[in-house]
Amino acid sequence: MSYEKLLETNISGESAKAWKASGKKAVGYVCCHVPTEILIAADVMPVRLRATNCVDSSDAEAWMSSFSCSFAKSVLQYLMNGTYDLDGLVQSDGCMMATRILDNWSHIAKKNGKAQFIHQIGAPRITNEISIGYYKAELQTLADKLGAFSGKAVTDEGLKSAAAKTNEVRGLIAQLFTLRKEAKVSGTEALRIMLANCDLTIDEYIAALGEFIADAKGRGPIKARARLMMIGSALDNPEYIRVIEDKGGLVVADALCFGARSFGEKLVIDDKDVLGSIADYYLTRNTCPRALDNRPAIHKEIVDTCKAYDIQGIIYEKMQNCECWGGESYYLEPDLKAIGVPMLQVEREEQMANAGQLAIRAEAFVEMIEK
Amino acid sequence: MAEIEKVEYWRWTESNWKNPDIPDWRGSLITAGVDIGSTSTQAVVMADGVPYAYSNMRTGSNSPDSAIGAIDWAMKDTGLTLEDITYTIGTGYGRVNVPFSNKTVTEITCHAKGANYIYGPTIRTILDMGGQDCKAIHCDAKGAVTSFMMNDKCAAGTGRGMEVIANLLAVRVEDIGDMSFQIDEEPDPVSSTCVIFAKSEATKLMRTGWTKEKVLAAYCHAMALRVVRLLERNGMELDFAITGGIAKNVGVVRRIERIMGIQALKPAMDTQIAGALGAALLGKELVEKKRAKENQ
Repeated sequence: MSYEKLLETNISGESAKAWKASGKKAVGYVCCHVPTEILIAADVMPVRLRATNCVDSSDAEAWMSSFSCSFAKSVLQYLMNGTYDLDGLVQSDGCMMATRILDNWSHIAKKNGKAQFIHQIGAPRITNEISIGYYKAELQTLADKLGAFSGKAVTDEGLKSAAAKTNEVRGLIAQLFTLRKEAKVSGTEALRIMLANCDLTIDEYIAALGEFIADAKGRGPIKARARLMMIGSALDNPEYIRVIEDKGGLVVADALCFGARSFGEKLVIDDKDVLGSIADYYLTRNTCPRALDNRPAIHKEIVDTCKAYDIQGIIYEKMQNCECWGGESYYLEPDLKAIGVPMLQVEREEQMANAGQLAIRAEAFVEMIEK
Repeated sequence: MAEIEKVEYWRWTESNWKNPDIPDWRGSLITAGVDIGSTSTQAVVMADGVPYAYSNMRTGSNSPDSAIGAIDWAMKDTGLTLEDITYTIGTGYGRVNVPFSNKTVTEITCHAKGANYIYGPTIRTILDMGGQDCKAIHCDAKGAVTSFMMNDKCAAGTGRGMEVIANLLAVRVEDIGDMSFQIDEEPDPVSSTCVIFAKSEATKLMRTGWTKEKVLAAYCHAMALRVVRLLERNGMELDFAITGGIAKNVGVVRRIERIMGIQALKPAMDTQIAGALGAALLGKELVEKKRAKENQ
């Protein structure tokens, strides 16, 4: 397979269709607190739901609250209009908006007579021994139910084998980040590549990403007026970054849950407690400020990334009604000021209706920080 | 049936100006800035970094035509032609549609530079209240932007919102500021989240017997509150000044000053030209830099 598939932003569903045609199950999930290793170990294809290129969410709006974020509404729209044709949905309570996707889809699927594996796992918002133990129990229930659903029990060996594959992805993504740091891969391209992980089987993804990295290593650096980092709400639209990069910025790093945060460091498995290792890894890694006790660590990681990647400015995109990233700037700004990195805050919706507004802000920001 | 006279209350006065202290521009470095905003277009011509001529007119439906119209009106009776202008910078929403520009720069950068020229190097916070958006800008002593924040999405708190109210109440837009003080007591503000909501609320208040003056006071109050929130979010550092069309509306300006407990610097020239002025100044700097490099 050529790596061209990595750069396709539309959700074709081809891989899931082919997977299902072989008699196996494909299940969607929302939020990176759902460990894909469990799905892979059950021989279920994990499909991370996104709403890239959704232009109309009017069907979902009839179901969701007006206070739901447009990402959640658009994902539900894609479930309702058949963009996703999957065997079920696994959801962590990453945020309330995402939880509403599961609530509504569960009801709509039932109403339409569509058989679905529906399961929600609780991911505590604080990290200590008790909460990790609770989360592990939640994952065990998921593993048991999923194994029964797919016909392949989730075993320690299966989980270890799955972790070896996800770690291979993490290793390749680390190489991708090096290429971003060297300005050989744009932020737009990097997000496209990371989004492809949502829709391809893990074997397809590893093969394609390996090819891409080998090719991209030979590139020269992209000329840009300013090196930027993106942080904020779930961003699954590479076009959003393209608008910024068209104005002279180069997004060389991110702290986005569809970007760097969904991959992270390698997962180290303790043979004595395989599922416990997975629970500990997924609950303690700093994906987003949903937790009550990880915000200083997230801020420190952002500051450290600024230093390591020679970042000149941060763009903080905040989706309207985002509960996780709603008010982080107030706490983060002093840390960034201390290292002399300015931050531009922009509000956005899932559907790109404000490209012009974003462009003027991005261009002015680049003018302000370029050396 | 007799034709009803249609009065466009929202229309503000267009103007052009020529510097009487510069009798001849020949021999000077001529640079220009053209700011095509959503509502108004300005062209400023500078001779050796001093304003020589400008025009301020409404933006039409065709941005290139607006740019040409504005520069032509600014150059009228000066003997200048486009060929005499060494460098032109386009700015504003229509900056990419200035057919004779050498470069484009955002209006945020240009407004800071222009305000630095108009108000002097002590200016640190600029509130630009434009036709369809509003910007709180911080700058340094050279007029370089250090941070900025813009309003999101709605035209409430912008010139367009004021034009809508002018038409609704049949009051000339330029009279709104003074009229809004012809009241016994400051009323509560109308809705500031949406121009359409504000319009509906103003209609309702008129029906309940409020005078036009009182409704205008409530509207100016709402607009002031809205932009004060933007200023507070970006932080206030003195000296402070307001640019853009709404800077001419005392009803909004004095209320901002009262709410913030500060005084805005008073301008010595038309605040609507700040963006184009900044663009022309940046053009001059670029030409001088290039010449200095060539002479090295």
